[in-house]
Amino acid sequence: MQAVKIQPAKAAEEVITTQRKLGAALETLRSMDDVDFGVTAKEEIYREDKVVVYRFKGERAPTAKVPILIVYALVNRPYMVDLQDDRSLVKNLLAKGEDVYLIDWGYPDGADRWLTLDDYINGYIARAVDAVARHRRVRKINLLGICQGGAFSLCFAALHPHKVQNLITMVTPVDFQTPDNMLSNWVQKLDIDLFVDTLGNVPADLMNLCYLMLKPVRLNQQKYIGLVDILDNKVEMENFLRMEKWIFDSPDQAGEAFRQFLKDFYQGNKLIKGGLKIGGRDVHLGNISMPVLNVFAEQDHLVPPAASRVLAEHVGTKDYTQVAFRGGHIGIYVSGRAQREVPSAIHEWLAART
Amino acid sequence: MSEAFFSDATRQWQALLQQSAGPWAEWMRAGAQPPNAFEKWSALFGGNNATPTETIERFVQGARDYLSFLQAGMNVGGINAEGMSGWIEPLKRMFAAPDGMAGAFEHPFAKLWPGSAAGMNPFALGMSGFGQTAAPDLRDLKSWLKLPSFGPAREHQVNQQNAALAWFDYQQQIQRHNELMLRAAKRGFELFEGKLSEREQPGRQIESLRALYDLWVDAIEEAYADIALSQEYREVYGDLVNAQMRVRSHVQKEVERLSSDMGVPTRSEIDSIGERLQALRREVRGLRGGDALIDEIADLRGELETLARNAVRQALGERAKTSAQVAAAPSVARVDKPRAAATKPKKQSAKTAPARVAPEKAAPRRAAAAASGGFATRIAQFADASLGGKRKARGNKAAPAKSSRGAKAATTRRGKRAHS
Repeated sequence: MQAVKIQPAKAAEEVITTQRKLGAALETLRSMDDVDFGVTAKEEIYREDKVVVYRFKGERAPTAKVPILIVYALVNRPYMVDLQDDRSLVKNLLAKGEDVYLIDWGYPDGADRWLTLDDYINGYIARAVDAVARHRRVRKINLLGICQGGAFSLCFAALHPHKVQNLITMVTPVDFQTPDNMLSNWVQKLDIDLFVDTLGNVPADLMNLCYLMLKPVRLNQQKYIGLVDILDNKVEMENFLRMEKWIFDSPDQAGEAFRQFLKDFYQGNKLIKGGLKIGGRDVHLGNISMPVLNVFAEQDHLVPPAASRVLAEHVGTKDYTQVAFRGGHIGIYVSGRAQREVPSAIHEWLAART
Repeated sequence: MSEAFFSDATRQWQALLQQSAGPWAEWMRAGAQPPNAFEKWSALFGGNNATPTETIERFVQGARDYLSFLQAGMNVGGINAEGMSGWIEPLKRMFAAPDGMAGAFEHPFAKLWPGSAAGMNPFALGMSGFGQTAAPDLRDLKSWLKLPSFGPAREHQVNQQNAALAWFDYQQQIQRHNELMLRAAKRGFELFEGKLSEREQPGRQIESLRALYDLWVDAIEEAYADIALSQEYREVYGDLVNAQMRVRSHVQKEVERLSSDMGVPTRSEIDSIGERLQALRREVRGLRGGDALIDEIADLRGELETLARNAVRQALGERAKTSAQVAAAPSVARVDKPRAAATKPKKQSAKTAPARVAPEKAAPRRAAAAASGGFATRIAQFADASLGGKRKARGNKAAPAKSSRGAKAATTRRGKRAHS
């Protein structure tokens, strides 16, 4: 029995169909405007350097007494959490009565070259937390850290536990040296000092290339071949282009913060091994005494599940909850299942702790 | 000095300038070139005037490769009554040249890594020009690069030699990396054959070119992941990136030297200014007491305001109770919660210990808060007085030190910061 049994007529039809769709695609593409993103209304409540803290405005007033501050990663833009009307973690949280704030890191440039992790965690995040607390007239707030922002949130919560009511981490690396972590494997032998001293701020294009090389054929080619299937569907094309924009709309990385992040987190794995110092102060995950909800994605190729799961063994709190989401690093925000499951899980977990 | 000497020296200087600026001019040109893939694609399919974007370019490349694949599949597969049987060998020919590298279907790894598509690879971008100028003949490089330098231009020559050596090393690292990628490609085909053999059972056979392509992608990704997660790749990748950083570093130094000669501000100078500025910002923040002290003051202020607010509510409740005989018990309950929370920041100043309310401080306050009648009014008066004092103290830098708890914590933090 042959493994390949392609009828000649069918093969010819595939070729013709593909050619036809490619030809028709021009009309679709011509009719499309640049994609928009970030659908939920928001107001600026705090600004410092390039960092802005926004409060999202839902269709009704929030019922939650303690606000949520989303701390996103530095390596991508935070509008992923509010990408479009039917794919928005923010919108779904607002609909459930949560009060949602977000830190927008902006696009670092040469002026930000010397920002350290201390500046980010004990500086920007701390002052953003204070700004939200002042804005809502509360003493503590809920922190929702995503990916690298989750690692920062863990550090912040360990250093300033009195400011965090509940801590939520999403697709957050904790153990940076699990065997299935490709990015980690690649950076172990890098001379980080030479790297940062040479590049200064780390260019976004370089970062994006590294991400693409995690699955080179799938991300550089197969994805675009799959595009043939939706070329004649304007809505699907808009969704695709919106995602593309987010993927490649990346900020450069402030050199010093990048240096410390790679050396201490990736190469040293100090978040769990110990010895991590931010601003001269030791970071002990055992100091995290507030309730913790850890959400990770089972098919995450950037932050393997094992890298997140291990948080349970290191936090000091007795109130620790873990949620495994069936999807990937991006799907956890934008997939249909994510819209149904993730905001509900967060809201219900918070409601049980009010 | 003769005129000929100056003329010759000028020519040499200009040549050196051109040589050193070459890679950066190349870099700039590469960055400034408008993308033309979409125009090509548009011409191919009869379209024009669409907006070229990176997405479109990527799509175009993918579509072009896929069409090549489809076309090759049609050409090599042969047609017979059983469909396109005997596909494995044709597929090998289609995907790979005899040496395992790109065939009709260009191997994506070949396009993604240095030496083939600089525009796709930031590591490679801007490096090709440097290679052309700094290392015209790599074969003899190591022999003459070891020669000692002397004379007024000795230092410059040493730098140039080191830069060329770095470039030579970079080329070697690219070669090592490409060998691993080739191994991944070969392994991908082995896996592909294995996956094909699993599809021989009825109901699992591949019936479309697209399904065949997807299976190949699965195999090649699996092979790549095996390599990319290996210890060997860790070494090779690290060496590659480090080698390129060394080359870039040398180029930067040369550009800086030339810029400095021409009176153009250099990156090092600007970096130095930025570093000093950032250090000054931290120092200023530290002089103001640092974020920890600001937190402490804000916490104390909040605590007092909460105390005052609740005391006032309680007092008002008492009045209402007197006049309307309404129970004021809830206001007492409201007092306790904020105060318990308000004491937690003190624990933060201790840094490592879990949140705990200092009993000797908290207990009298709870008692005061829980008290009713005229006592609550006295608390309100006390709180007003405290707030007033605090407000006045805002303009007085010595004021925080008068708060015994705050002063202690702040002193400790300042001491630690200074120490660290």
